Amino acid sequence: MSIEIKNLSFVYGAKSAYEKRALEDVSFTIKDGETLGIIGTTGSGKSTLIQHLNALIRVTNGSIVIDDIDLSQKRINLQLLRSKIGMLFQYPEYQLFEDTVEADVAFGPKNFGYKKEDIDYMVRQAIELVGLDYYEVKDKSPFELSGGQKRRVAIAGIIASRPSILVLDEPTAGLDPIGKREILDLVKRLKDSFVKTIIMISHNMDEIAEYCDHVIVLHEGKLIYDTTPEELFSDKEKLVGTGLSLPHTVNIARLLSEKGVEINESCLDVDSLVNAIEKAVPNE
Amino acid sequence: MDTIITIKDVSFNYVTGEQISRGVKNVNLEIERGSFVVLLGHNGSGKSTLAKLLNGFLTPTEGEIIVDGINTADESKIFDLRSRVGMVFQNPDNQMVASIIEDDLAFGPENLGVEREEIGRRINWALDIVNMSEHRHRTPTKLSGGQKQRIAIAAVLAMLPNILILDESTAMLDPKGRSEVLETAHKLNKEENMTVILITHYMDEAIDADRIVVMNDGEVILDGAPSEVYQQTDVIRRAGLELPVAARVSEKLIERGYPIKFCLTDKELAEELCQLK
Repeated sequence: MSIEIKNLSFVYGAKSAYEKRALEDVSFTIKDGETLGIIGTTGSGKSTLIQHLNALIRVTNGSIVIDDIDLSQKRINLQLLRSKIGMLFQYPEYQLFEDTVEADVAFGPKNFGYKKEDIDYMVRQAIELVGLDYYEVKDKSPFELSGGQKRRVAIAGIIASRPSILVLDEPTAGLDPIGKREILDLVKRLKDSFVKTIIMISHNMDEIAEYCDHVIVLHEGKLIYDTTPEELFSDKEKLVGTGLSLPHTVNIARLLSEKGVEINESCLDVDSLVNAIEKAVPNE
Repeated sequence: MDTIITIKDVSFNYVTGEQISRGVKNVNLEIERGSFVVLLGHNGSGKSTLAKLLNGFLTPTEGEIIVDGINTADESKIFDLRSRVGMVFQNPDNQMVASIIEDDLAFGPENLGVEREEIGRRINWALDIVNMSEHRHRTPTKLSGGQKQRIAIAAVLAMLPNILILDESTAMLDPKGRSEVLETAHKLNKEENMTVILITHYMDEAIDADRIVVMNDGEVILDGAPSEVYQQTDVIRRAGLELPVAARVSEKLIERGYPIKFCLTDKELAEELCQLK
């Protein structure tokens, strides 16, 4: 299920005093099975872009085709679209509302009209997929859980309806290092289930470098790069002027190059950087 | 040493129904006036509990805390205590009370009965420090996260505290917002001699501190200057924290026999390696 975005533009408050151009002529394709990272500073259009994907914002200019659903059409089957695309907003733990974890996770499938037996199975599977013990948490109030657990319950609530595309808006924001690792490993693990394609917004370049195989960079509403993390971070000057930083490993390689120690490989994680340093600065 | 905070044999238990869970246990700390202290620990390690004990939100189950000469358990001095210990929390949207920024700053001192002219002076001073003077007549809702947190800091400053506690105030911000808030905290520390206690789980925010206190399971497990604390890599990992990338790279190079020192920043590491060439 690929996603094709062509010449997408969007203006908030068109023809008013508050008119703001949020997206300008954005075109790119997301292939089936990719993990796409979207990066850009606050106000670069990231959230506007992802809200288009499940028609929270309707296409006004340009087109988006997801599988065989054309989002620029006037009438679209929203139920079908939203069962295919699960969307997790920032701080999703604030959106939990039911009395029990089980009821909260069941809310999605129930609204999509699944049968009771199916719902029970889907809920249980979703809770187990996010790494929680079904029998331990199902009757608990979501508010009794820790921050990281709440976020996992929120993710379970989205994947319970079995979307094949999952969109995550800063899934690790505000979590401590352990919580971050857990969520990222969970995201990785989900790709072995029915979730095929993952789209993730992140401010953390190290995360993008490590977990994504496709990356786009938005800057003031325009798409300025559509490439792989290796490509993007290999040219140390590419992100200059966008307000974005390099992953630390790439930054260390860049600083070394500036001082005449040339590191030619792309170093997207600690181990590859250490190996590259061993080659460039042999230890006598 | 001019001690501003003394924490002596302090333990605190949370009691919900019949369940008792430990917040902090046996904490002993003395914090020097004018120092910049970072309190590190993963979620649930007890760092926020400790912060709440400092301004009397919570009082110790055992032991005592003296802040600027006030015992935090002394209820008659609670208002005095709270105006001396200013706290800024995690979510920038939960701390604004007024629809215009200068009114938001006036809220604290007005409630303390401070005179009008004095309030005006304090607002000018506070907005100037956090670099938000030009926004004083605007509404906080249109600001970025970093700007909102700086307004929250200014609102606390208008109460003229001696101690500023930032309880994960950078956790919800983007990289730009984070550095704005950190710069503001360091500026207050240097220029106004404010005692700053920064609570975080980002280790890279602690590099410029005078002192780092690491907590785990309610206990202080490390306490010292950044260069000393960071070297305890095993303890740090066990405490659920993540070392900065430069530290992890230099650790691995040292393991492989490179004659370099343990580095905390990208720049430091690059410089060390260049000297080998």
